[in-house]
Amino acid sequence: MTLIDVAIKDIRLHARDARFLATLLLFSASLVLILSVAFGPIFQEPAREAAATLWAALFFAGVLGLTRSLDLEGESGGGDAVRLAGADPYSIFLGKTLANFLLLAAVFTLTLPIASVFFDVGDLPTLPTLVGVAALALLGYAAWGTLFAALARGLKARELLLSVLLFPSLVPLWIGAVKCTNALWAGGSIEPVRDWIKVMAVADVLGLALAAFLYELIQEASE
Amino acid sequence: MEPSAAPVRWWNGAGRMLWLLALALVAGSWWAAATYAPVEAQMGPVQKIVYVHVPSAIVTLIAFGLTFAASIAYLTTKQWRWDAVAAASCELGMVFATVVLVSGPLWARSAWNTWWTWEPRLTTFLILWILYAGYHVVRASLHSASRRTVSSVLGIVLFVNLPIVWKSVEWWRGSLHPRNVTMTGEMRETLLLSMAAWIVFYAAAMVSRLRLEWIREAAAERA
Repeated sequence: MTLIDVAIKDIRLHARDARFLATLLLFSASLVLILSVAFGPIFQEPAREAAATLWAALFFAGVLGLTRSLDLEGESGGGDAVRLAGADPYSIFLGKTLANFLLLAAVFTLTLPIASVFFDVGDLPTLPTLVGVAALALLGYAAWGTLFAALARGLKARELLLSVLLFPSLVPLWIGAVKCTNALWAGGSIEPVRDWIKVMAVADVLGLALAAFLYELIQEASE
Repeated sequence: MEPSAAPVRWWNGAGRMLWLLALALVAGSWWAAATYAPVEAQMGPVQKIVYVHVPSAIVTLIAFGLTFAASIAYLTTKQWRWDAVAAASCELGMVFATVVLVSGPLWARSAWNTWWTWEPRLTTFLILWILYAGYHVVRASLHSASRRTVSSVLGIVLFVNLPIVWKSVEWWRGSLHPRNVTMTGEMRETLLLSMAAWIVFYAAAMVSRLRLEWIREAAAERA
Protein backbone atom coordinates (compact mmCIF):
# COMPACT_ATOMS: atom_id res chain seq x y z
CA MET A 1 0.00 0.00 0.00
CA THR A 2 1.47 3.32 -1.02
CA LEU A 3 0.76 6.78 0.31
CA ILE A 4 -1.61 7.38 -2.62
CA ASP A 5 -3.65 4.31 -1.60
CA VAL A 6 -3.86 5.59 1.98
CA ALA A 7 -4.91 9.04 0.77
CA ILE A 8 -7.56 7.59 -1.58
CA LYS A 9 -8.95 5.43 1.24
CA ASP A 10 -9.26 8.47 3.53
CA ILE A 11 -10.82 10.65 0.85
CA ARG A 12 -13.31 7.90 0.05
CA LEU A 13 -14.27 7.69 3.73
CA HIS A 14 -14.85 11.46 3.78
CA ALA A 15 -16.79 11.39 0.52
CA ARG A 16 -19.13 8.67 1.81
CA ASP A 17 -20.02 10.81 4.79
CA ALA A 18 -21.54 13.73 2.88
CA ARG A 19 -23.51 14.85 5.91
CA PHE A 20 -20.31 15.49 7.83
CA LEU A 21 -18.76 17.48 4.99
CA ALA A 22 -21.90 19.59 4.69
CA THR A 23 -21.85 20.26 8.45
CA LEU A 24 -18.19 21.23 8.26
CA LEU A 25 -18.85 23.77 5.53
CA LEU A 26 -21.92 25.11 7.27
CA PHE A 27 -19.84 25.50 10.43
CA SER A 28 -17.10 27.52 8.72
CA ALA A 29 -19.70 29.59 6.81
CA SER A 30 -21.51 30.47 10.04
CA LEU A 31 -18.20 31.48 11.65
CA VAL A 32 -17.54 33.86 8.76
CA LEU A 33 -21.10 35.19 9.01
CA ILE A 34 -20.92 35.78 12.78
CA LEU A 35 -17.57 37.58 12.54
CA SER A 36 -18.65 39.72 9.58
CA VAL A 37 -21.74 40.80 11.53
CA ALA A 38 -19.53 41.53 14.56
CA PHE A 39 -17.09 43.62 12.49
CA GLY A 40 -19.72 45.24 10.27
CA PRO A 41 -21.82 46.73 8.90
CA ILE A 42 -19.19 49.34 8.05
CA PHE A 43 -15.77 47.70 7.98
CA GLN A 44 -12.79 49.71 9.21
CA GLU A 45 -10.19 47.64 7.40
CA PRO A 46 -12.10 45.06 5.31
CA ALA A 47 -8.99 43.27 3.99
CA ARG A 48 -7.53 42.78 7.44
CA GLU A 49 -10.79 41.74 9.06
CA ALA A 50 -11.68 39.36 6.22
CA ALA A 51 -8.22 37.73 6.28
CA ALA A 52 -8.40 37.10 10.04
CA THR A 53 -11.96 35.77 9.75
CA LEU A 54 -11.18 33.44 6.86
CA TRP A 55 -8.21 31.83 8.60
CA ALA A 56 -9.95 31.56 11.98
CA ALA A 57 -12.87 29.76 10.30
CA LEU A 58 -10.47 27.43 8.48
CA PHE A 59 -8.65 26.60 11.69
CA PHE A 60 -11.74 25.56 13.64
CA ALA A 61 -13.28 23.67 10.74
CA GLY A 62 -9.93 21.96 10.24
CA VAL A 63 -9.75 20.73 13.84
CA LEU A 64 -13.14 19.06 13.40
CA GLY A 65 -12.01 17.48 10.12
CA LEU A 66 -8.76 16.17 11.60
CA THR A 67 -10.36 14.45 14.58
CA ARG A 68 -13.11 13.06 12.39
CA SER A 69 -10.65 11.39 10.01
CA LEU A 70 -9.06 9.52 12.92
CA ASP A 71 -12.40 8.64 14.50
CA LEU A 72 -13.63 7.03 11.31
CA GLU A 73 -10.60 4.81 11.31
CA GLY A 74 -10.89 3.96 14.99
CA GLU A 75 -14.52 2.91 14.68
CA SER A 76 -13.95 0.49 11.81
CA GLY A 77 -10.51 -0.82 12.79
CA GLY A 78 -9.19 0.61 9.53
CA GLY A 79 -5.86 1.57 11.08
CA ASP A 80 -4.99 -2.05 11.78
CA ALA A 81 -6.14 -3.08 8.30
CA VAL A 82 -3.88 -0.49 6.68
CA ARG A 83 -0.90 -1.78 8.65
CA LEU A 84 -1.79 -5.40 7.80
CA ALA A 85 -1.90 -4.41 4.15
CA GLY A 86 1.80 -3.63 4.45
CA ALA A 87 1.84 0.16 4.50
CA ASP A 88 4.89 1.58 6.26
CA PRO A 89 4.37 4.38 8.82
CA TYR A 90 5.93 6.92 6.49
CA SER A 91 3.37 6.21 3.73
CA ILE A 92 0.53 6.21 6.26
CA PHE A 93 1.56 9.60 7.58
CA LEU A 94 2.07 11.16 4.16
CA GLY A 95 -1.14 9.62 2.82
CA LYS A 96 -3.13 10.94 5.74
CA THR A 97 -1.50 14.35 5.43
CA LEU A 98 -2.39 14.43 1.73
CA ALA A 99 -6.02 13.47 2.45
CA ASN A 100 -6.28 16.06 5.23
CA PHE A 101 -4.72 18.65 2.95
CA LEU A 102 -7.35 17.97 0.28
CA LEU A 103 -10.14 18.15 2.87
CA LEU A 104 -8.83 21.51 4.10
CA ALA A 105 -8.45 22.70 0.50
CA ALA A 106 -12.11 21.83 -0.11
CA VAL A 107 -13.17 23.82 2.95
CA PHE A 108 -10.97 26.72 1.82
CA THR A 109 -12.42 26.66 -1.72
CA LEU A 110 -15.95 26.98 -0.37
CA THR A 111 -15.24 29.40 2.49
CA LEU A 112 -13.22 31.86 0.39
CA PRO A 113 -16.16 33.07 -1.77
CA ILE A 114 -18.32 33.47 1.33
CA ALA A 115 -15.68 35.65 3.04
CA SER A 116 -15.12 37.59 -0.21
CA VAL A 117 -18.81 38.35 -0.58
CA PHE A 118 -19.52 39.22 3.06
CA PHE A 119 -16.51 41.52 3.40
CA ASP A 120 -16.46 42.66 -0.23
CA VAL A 121 -12.76 41.91 -0.73
CA GLY A 122 -10.58 40.09 -3.24
CA ASP A 123 -10.37 40.06 -7.03
CA LEU A 124 -9.41 37.63 -9.78
CA PRO A 125 -5.85 38.86 -10.53
CA THR A 126 -4.71 38.17 -6.94
CA LEU A 127 -6.44 34.78 -6.79
CA PRO A 128 -3.51 32.62 -8.05
CA THR A 129 -1.15 34.13 -5.45
CA LEU A 130 -3.76 33.65 -2.75
CA VAL A 131 -4.15 30.00 -3.74
CA GLY A 132 -0.36 29.59 -3.47
CA VAL A 133 -0.34 31.16 0.00
CA ALA A 134 -3.25 28.94 1.05
CA ALA A 135 -1.49 25.83 -0.27
CA LEU A 136 1.57 26.67 1.83
CA ALA A 137 -0.49 27.31 4.97
CA LEU A 138 -2.79 24.31 4.57
CA LEU A 139 0.08 21.91 3.84
CA GLY A 140 1.70 22.88 7.13
CA TYR A 141 -1.67 22.65 8.87
CA ALA A 142 -2.23 19.17 7.46
CA ALA A 143 1.25 17.97 8.50
CA TRP A 144 1.18 19.38 12.06
CA GLY A 145 -2.49 18.50 12.39
CA THR A 146 -2.02 14.86 11.37
CA LEU A 147 0.87 14.55 13.83
CA PHE A 148 -1.05 16.06 16.75
CA ALA A 149 -4.28 14.25 15.90
CA ALA A 150 -2.40 10.95 16.05
CA LEU A 151 -0.90 11.96 19.41
CA ALA A 152 -4.29 12.95 20.83
CA ARG A 153 -6.01 9.78 19.58
CA GLY A 154 -6.33 7.97 22.90
CA LEU A 155 -7.40 11.02 24.87
CA LYS A 156 -10.70 12.25 26.21
CA ALA A 157 -11.77 15.69 24.99
CA ARG A 158 -9.35 15.47 22.10
CA GLU A 159 -10.92 18.30 20.07
CA LEU A 160 -10.19 20.57 23.01
CA LEU A 161 -6.65 19.31 23.44
CA LEU A 162 -5.99 19.45 19.75
CA SER A 163 -6.94 23.12 19.73
CA VAL A 164 -4.75 23.83 22.76
CA LEU A 165 -1.66 22.12 21.31
CA LEU A 166 -2.14 22.65 17.61
CA PHE A 167 -3.01 26.33 17.52
CA PRO A 168 0.14 27.60 19.28
CA SER A 169 2.28 25.37 17.05
CA LEU A 170 0.63 26.80 13.97
CA VAL A 171 1.09 30.43 14.98
CA PRO A 172 3.92 31.13 12.47
CA LEU A 173 1.82 29.65 9.66
CA TRP A 174 -1.31 31.47 10.70
CA ILE A 175 0.29 34.88 11.12
CA GLY A 176 1.93 34.39 7.73
CA ALA A 177 -1.33 33.39 6.07
CA VAL A 178 -3.27 36.31 7.57
CA LYS A 179 -0.52 38.84 6.71
CA CYS A 180 -0.19 37.62 3.10
CA THR A 181 -3.98 37.48 2.56
CA ASN A 182 -4.34 40.96 4.02
CA ALA A 183 -1.51 42.33 1.84
CA LEU A 184 -3.06 40.76 -1.28
CA TRP A 185 -6.55 42.06 -0.61
CA ALA A 186 -5.45 45.50 0.54
CA GLY A 187 -2.58 46.21 -1.85
CA GLY A 188 -2.70 43.53 -4.53
CA SER A 189 0.77 42.17 -3.79
CA ILE A 190 2.55 40.11 -1.12
CA GLU A 191 5.82 42.00 -1.66
CA PRO A 192 5.66 43.92 1.69
CA VAL A 193 5.30 40.69 3.69
CA ARG A 194 7.55 38.49 1.57
CA ASP A 195 9.55 37.23 4.59
CA TRP A 196 6.47 35.47 5.92
CA ILE A 197 6.48 33.14 2.91
CA LYS A 198 9.90 31.91 4.08
CA VAL A 199 8.62 31.49 7.67
CA MET A 200 5.67 29.46 6.38
CA ALA A 201 7.91 27.28 4.20
CA VAL A 202 10.18 26.56 7.19
CA ALA A 203 7.14 25.67 9.34
CA ASP A 204 5.94 23.29 6.59
CA VAL A 205 9.28 21.52 6.26
CA LEU A 206 9.67 21.29 10.06
CA GLY A 207 6.19 19.80 10.48
CA LEU A 208 6.70 17.24 7.72
CA ALA A 209 10.18 16.26 8.93
CA LEU A 210 9.24 15.96 12.61
CA ALA A 211 6.12 13.98 11.83
CA ALA A 212 7.94 11.67 9.42
CA PHE A 213 10.54 10.88 12.10
CA LEU A 214 8.08 10.44 14.95
CA TYR A 215 4.97 8.94 13.35
CA GLU A 216 6.17 5.35 13.69
CA LEU A 217 6.70 5.81 17.44
CA ILE A 218 3.25 7.36 17.90
CA GLN A 219 1.72 4.49 15.99
CA GLU A 220 3.51 1.93 18.15
CA ALA A 221 2.35 3.73 21.27
CA SER A 222 -1.31 3.70 20.25
CA GLU A 223 -1.35 -0.06 19.61
CA MET B 1 19.05 4.24 39.44
CA GLU B 2 17.54 0.75 39.46
CA PRO B 3 13.78 0.72 39.34
CA SER B 4 13.34 -2.09 41.83
CA ALA B 5 15.19 -0.36 44.66
CA ALA B 6 14.14 2.62 46.74
CA PRO B 7 16.28 5.76 46.36
CA VAL B 8 19.77 5.03 47.59
CA ARG B 9 21.41 6.88 50.41
CA TRP B 10 23.87 8.90 48.35
CA TRP B 11 21.00 10.28 46.25
CA ASN B 12 19.17 11.56 49.32
CA GLY B 13 22.42 12.95 50.73
CA ALA B 14 23.24 14.73 47.48
CA GLY B 15 19.72 16.19 47.46
CA ARG B 16 20.12 17.59 50.98
CA MET B 17 23.50 19.12 50.13
CA LEU B 18 22.10 20.72 46.99
CA TRP B 19 19.13 22.16 48.88
CA LEU B 20 21.41 23.70 51.51
CA LEU B 21 23.62 25.20 48.79
CA ALA B 22 20.61 26.44 46.82
CA LEU B 23 18.98 28.13 49.79
CA ALA B 24 22.26 29.77 50.81
CA LEU B 25 22.83 31.04 47.26
CA VAL B 26 19.25 32.32 46.86
CA ALA B 27 19.48 34.11 50.22
CA GLY B 28 22.85 35.54 49.14
CA SER B 29 21.48 36.71 45.79
CA TRP B 30 18.53 38.42 47.48
CA TRP B 31 20.86 40.13 49.90
CA ALA B 32 23.06 41.26 46.98
CA ALA B 33 20.03 42.49 45.02
CA ALA B 34 18.75 44.45 48.03
CA THR B 35 21.98 46.00 49.27
CA TYR B 36 24.99 45.39 47.00
CA ALA B 37 23.51 46.22 43.57
CA PRO B 38 22.91 49.97 43.07
CA VAL B 39 19.44 51.39 42.47
CA GLU B 40 18.98 52.07 38.77
CA ALA B 41 18.69 55.78 37.97
CA GLN B 42 15.63 55.77 35.70
CA MET B 43 13.48 52.91 36.99
CA GLY B 44 14.36 52.93 40.66
CA PRO B 45 13.97 49.83 42.85
CA VAL B 46 11.59 48.15 40.32
CA GLN B 47 14.61 47.39 38.15
CA LYS B 48 15.65 44.78 40.76
CA ILE B 49 12.96 42.45 39.34
CA VAL B 50 15.58 41.67 36.73
CA TYR B 51 17.44 39.53 39.33
CA VAL B 52 14.48 37.14 39.41
CA HIS B 53 13.11 37.55 35.89
CA VAL B 54 16.24 36.86 33.83
CA PRO B 55 17.50 33.86 35.89
CA SER B 56 13.99 32.32 35.76
CA ALA B 57 13.95 32.71 31.98
CA ILE B 58 17.36 31.04 31.71
CA VAL B 59 16.27 28.15 33.98
CA THR B 60 13.08 27.74 31.90
CA LEU B 61 15.19 27.29 28.78
CA ILE B 62 17.52 24.84 30.56
CA ALA B 63 14.57 22.85 31.94
CA PHE B 64 12.72 22.53 28.63
CA GLY B 65 16.04 21.79 26.90
CA LEU B 66 16.61 18.92 29.32
CA THR B 67 13.06 17.67 28.67
CA PHE B 68 13.90 17.62 24.96
CA ALA B 69 17.19 15.74 25.48
CA ALA B 70 15.67 13.26 27.94
CA SER B 71 12.74 12.65 25.58
CA ILE B 72 15.15 11.66 22.81
CA ALA B 73 17.04 9.47 25.28
CA TYR B 74 13.79 7.74 26.30
CA LEU B 75 12.72 7.06 22.73
CA THR B 76 16.11 5.54 21.90
CA THR B 77 16.69 3.54 25.11
CA LYS B 78 13.11 3.01 26.41
CA GLN B 79 14.37 3.28 29.99
CA TRP B 80 11.84 4.71 32.45
CA ARG B 81 14.41 6.97 34.10
CA TRP B 82 14.68 9.19 31.01
CA ASP B 83 10.94 9.65 30.92
CA ALA B 84 11.09 10.56 34.62
CA VAL B 85 13.80 13.16 33.93
CA ALA B 86 11.79 14.65 31.04
CA ALA B 87 8.56 14.91 33.03
CA ALA B 88 10.25 16.26 36.18
CA SER B 89 12.22 18.87 34.26
CA CYS B 90 9.13 19.93 32.33
CA GLU B 91 7.20 20.44 35.57
CA LEU B 92 9.94 22.62 37.03
CA GLY B 93 10.26 24.47 33.73
CA MET B 94 6.57 25.32 33.98
CA VAL B 95 7.07 26.78 37.47
CA PHE B 96 9.94 28.99 36.30
CA ALA B 97 8.07 29.97 33.12
CA THR B 98 5.17 31.12 35.33
CA VAL B 99 7.59 33.21 37.40
CA VAL B 100 8.83 34.80 34.16
CA LEU B 101 5.27 35.54 33.03
CA VAL B 102 4.34 37.11 36.38
CA SER B 103 7.53 39.12 36.95
CA GLY B 104 7.62 40.37 33.33
CA PRO B 105 4.42 42.47 33.49
CA LEU B 106 5.52 43.92 36.85
CA TRP B 107 8.65 45.19 35.14
CA ALA B 108 6.77 46.22 31.99
CA ARG B 109 4.32 48.37 33.95
CA SER B 110 7.21 50.44 35.19
CA ALA B 111 9.51 50.38 32.13
CA TRP B 112 7.06 50.43 29.21
CA ASN B 113 4.03 51.84 31.07
CA THR B 114 1.85 48.83 30.24
CA TRP B 115 1.18 45.45 31.87
CA TRP B 116 1.07 43.58 28.64
CA THR B 117 1.90 44.36 25.04
CA TRP B 118 1.90 42.14 21.94
CA GLU B 119 5.62 42.24 21.65
CA PRO B 120 7.44 39.29 19.96
CA ARG B 121 9.15 37.78 22.98
CA LEU B 122 6.12 38.19 25.22
CA THR B 123 3.87 36.61 22.64
CA THR B 124 6.19 33.71 21.82
CA PHE B 125 6.85 33.05 25.51
CA LEU B 126 3.13 32.96 26.28
CA ILE B 127 2.66 30.49 23.42
CA LEU B 128 5.48 28.39 24.87
CA TRP B 129 3.77 28.40 28.27
CA ILE B 130 0.44 27.28 26.78
CA LEU B 131 2.14 24.51 24.80
CA TYR B 132 3.97 23.08 27.79
CA ALA B 133 0.78 23.33 29.85
CA GLY B 134 -0.72 21.12 27.11
CA TYR B 135 2.15 18.65 27.66
CA HIS B 136 1.08 18.21 31.28
CA VAL B 137 -2.60 17.88 30.40
CA VAL B 138 -1.83 15.18 27.82
CA ARG B 139 0.50 13.35 30.18
CA ALA B 140 -2.02 13.45 33.02
CA SER B 141 -4.87 12.17 30.89
CA LEU B 142 -2.98 9.11 29.61
CA HIS B 143 -2.73 6.11 31.89
CA SER B 144 -1.80 3.42 29.44
CA ALA B 145 1.63 2.15 28.49
CA SER B 146 1.68 4.73 25.70
CA ARG B 147 2.01 7.61 28.16
CA ARG B 148 5.79 7.66 28.13
CA THR B 149 6.12 7.49 24.37
CA VAL B 150 3.44 10.11 23.74
CA SER B 151 4.96 12.53 26.27
CA SER B 152 8.43 12.00 24.83
CA VAL B 153 7.20 12.75 21.32
CA LEU B 154 5.57 15.93 22.68
CA GLY B 155 8.77 16.83 24.55
CA ILE B 156 10.58 16.80 21.19
CA VAL B 157 7.89 18.49 19.09
CA LEU B 158 7.28 21.35 21.53
CA PHE B 159 11.00 22.13 21.77
CA VAL B 160 10.81 23.60 18.25
CA ASN B 161 9.34 26.74 19.84
CA LEU B 162 12.30 27.41 22.12
CA PRO B 163 14.65 28.79 19.46
CA ILE B 164 11.75 30.96 18.23
CA VAL B 165 11.41 32.54 21.71
CA TRP B 166 15.18 32.95 21.94
CA LYS B 167 15.58 34.56 18.53
CA SER B 168 12.28 36.48 18.45
CA VAL B 169 13.98 39.68 19.58
CA GLU B 170 16.27 39.60 16.54
CA TRP B 171 13.80 38.25 13.98
CA TRP B 172 10.96 40.68 14.52
CA ARG B 173 11.44 44.37 14.37
CA GLY B 174 9.69 46.47 16.99
CA SER B 175 10.72 44.35 19.93
CA LEU B 176 10.87 46.15 23.26
CA HIS B 177 13.06 43.50 24.87
CA PRO B 178 16.69 44.59 24.94
CA ARG B 179 19.10 42.54 22.83
CA ASN B 180 21.95 43.20 25.19
CA VAL B 181 22.14 45.25 28.31
CA THR B 182 24.95 47.36 29.64
CA MET B 183 25.27 46.97 33.38
CA THR B 184 27.62 48.27 35.99
CA GLY B 185 30.00 45.84 37.68
CA GLU B 186 27.87 45.36 40.81
CA MET B 187 24.71 44.84 38.79
CA ARG B 188 26.35 42.24 36.56
CA GLU B 189 27.85 40.41 39.54
CA THR B 190 24.48 40.32 41.30
CA LEU B 191 22.79 39.03 38.15
CA LEU B 192 25.41 36.30 37.72
CA LEU B 193 25.02 35.28 41.37
CA SER B 194 21.23 35.16 40.97
CA MET B 195 21.58 32.99 37.88
CA ALA B 196 23.88 30.56 39.69
CA ALA B 197 21.49 30.52 42.69
CA TRP B 198 18.39 29.67 40.65
CA ILE B 199 20.20 27.08 38.55
CA VAL B 200 21.35 25.29 41.72
CA PHE B 201 17.80 25.65 43.09
CA TYR B 202 16.50 23.97 39.93
CA ALA B 203 19.07 21.17 40.29
CA ALA B 204 18.05 20.59 43.93
CA ALA B 205 14.36 20.51 43.02
CA MET B 206 15.15 18.08 40.18
CA VAL B 207 16.88 15.69 42.59
CA SER B 208 13.87 15.77 44.93
CA ARG B 209 11.39 15.38 42.10
CA LEU B 210 13.32 12.45 40.63
CA ARG B 211 13.39 10.82 44.06
CA LEU B 212 9.60 10.90 44.01
CA GLU B 213 9.50 9.28 40.56
CA TRP B 214 11.95 6.68 41.81
CA ILE B 215 9.75 5.80 44.80
CA ARG B 216 6.68 5.67 42.54
CA GLU B 217 8.39 3.32 40.12
CA ALA B 218 9.59 1.06 42.95
CA ALA B 219 6.06 0.97 44.38
CA ALA B 220 4.56 0.17 40.98
CA GLU B 221 7.06 -2.65 40.50
CA ARG B 222 6.21 -4.16 43.85
CA ALA B 223 2.45 -3.93 43.31
